[in-house]
Amino acid sequence: MDRHHVVAAVEAALGEVLERPVTGLTEDVRLFEDLHLDSTSVLEMLMALEDAIDISVDPESLDMDDFKSVGTLTDYVLTQQAPSGV
Amino acid sequence: MTATTTLERIESFLPERSVRIDDVADSLGLRRAEVGVFRKIYGLDRLRFDPDTGLFDLVLHSARRALKALPEGRHVRYVVYAHTMQAVTPPHIDAAQVIREELGLHDAEAFALTHQACVSSLGAVDLTGELLRAEAPEGAYALMVTGERAYSPKVQLIPHSAIMADAAAACLVTVGGPGDEVRSFTTRTLGEFAAGLDMTKEQTQGFGQVYGTVLGEVIHEAVARAELSFDDIDLVIPHNVNLVSWRQTIKEMGADPGRFFLDNVPLYSHTYAADVFVNYTTLRDRGRLVPGRHYVLVSVGLGATFGAMVITHREG
Repeated sequence: MDRHHVVAAVEAALGEVLERPVTGLTEDVRLFEDLHLDSTSVLEMLMALEDAIDISVDPESLDMDDFKSVGTLTDYVLTQQAPSGV
Repeated sequence: MTATTTLERIESFLPERSVRIDDVADSLGLRRAEVGVFRKIYGLDRLRFDPDTGLFDLVLHSARRALKALPEGRHVRYVVYAHTMQAVTPPHIDAAQVIREELGLHDAEAFALTHQACVSSLGAVDLTGELLRAEAPEGAYALMVTGERAYSPKVQLIPHSAIMADAAAACLVTVGGPGDEVRSFTTRTLGEFAAGLDMTKEQTQGFGQVYGTVLGEVIHEAVARAELSFDDIDLVIPHNVNLVSWRQTIKEMGADPGRFFLDNVPLYSHTYAADVFVNYTTLRDRGRLVPGRHYVLVSVGLGATFGAMVITHREG
């Protein structure tokens, strides 16, 4: 999965959590300041992402620094992707 | 020398009907992503939940079994019903009096304790010890009964914290008996969070921010009052609120996670003030409690009270 697809998945997950359509996200959009997420809604968004794409969140190693912006979240998602099995 | 409070018999009861948190999500108004957070991050999975079990069916089961440990010729002077939600029966029914009558303890004084919420059961054990020492005839006993039903969505969901479940427990208490010895009991109440389930978002966040630090301090204080160090503690026997708040507390304490018994969190979830006693009976039935070793019973009640009781286990 490339960055473009991750950002699209983030848009869909945010739409589910915020219960309103989210479009046109760029990597510099900040999750807390710009989108007004809080620590709870960030977790809900991660669960929505887990449902939608092939990632597995490790609850023991969550670091809020990973969720500063759409860009840092995209980096995090790419590191959590399950091995392809190749 | 003043005789210490001793726990002569602890029993618990869980309804057989077990459901997954997904099964109660609709009635609690939880969206799929919120259920996901409760499952993956908070570590909840199953809970005992049986709307067909009445309150008295629930609490009397374990109370009767605990009472069987009362020695021949001895009397129960106090029956204390400890619960979390202030309203557990219709207003014309005084639950503590019903429990006393159903148990046939007609000469006992019966009353309820609730203001420490999920710490009320530990508080009731401490209080009955004080009453027995202060005014009861030598050799008298007290029975602490706890347990309540998650009878409405309004008392089943603590937003962003817990999904409450059904369970009950009872503890037969005396002073100077052969049972587990109560070494200390410490509580701290933070009145700024008195609104409980009605806290504002800011208050809830503030509670979350201090939770781990304060709970760790209360545990350490209880251990110090017992004239022990945390290294002397075999296991912490906690309430089942969720795994994320325990992870936070364990991290704040810099403690070994293996010394906190959290196996029942995904099985039973948070059962109001009964958790610590349910978990005690699980450990005892597994043969995990070692005579002569020390344990800390820990709970936190909305409102907000943090409580920790250090006990020394003795051969049952």
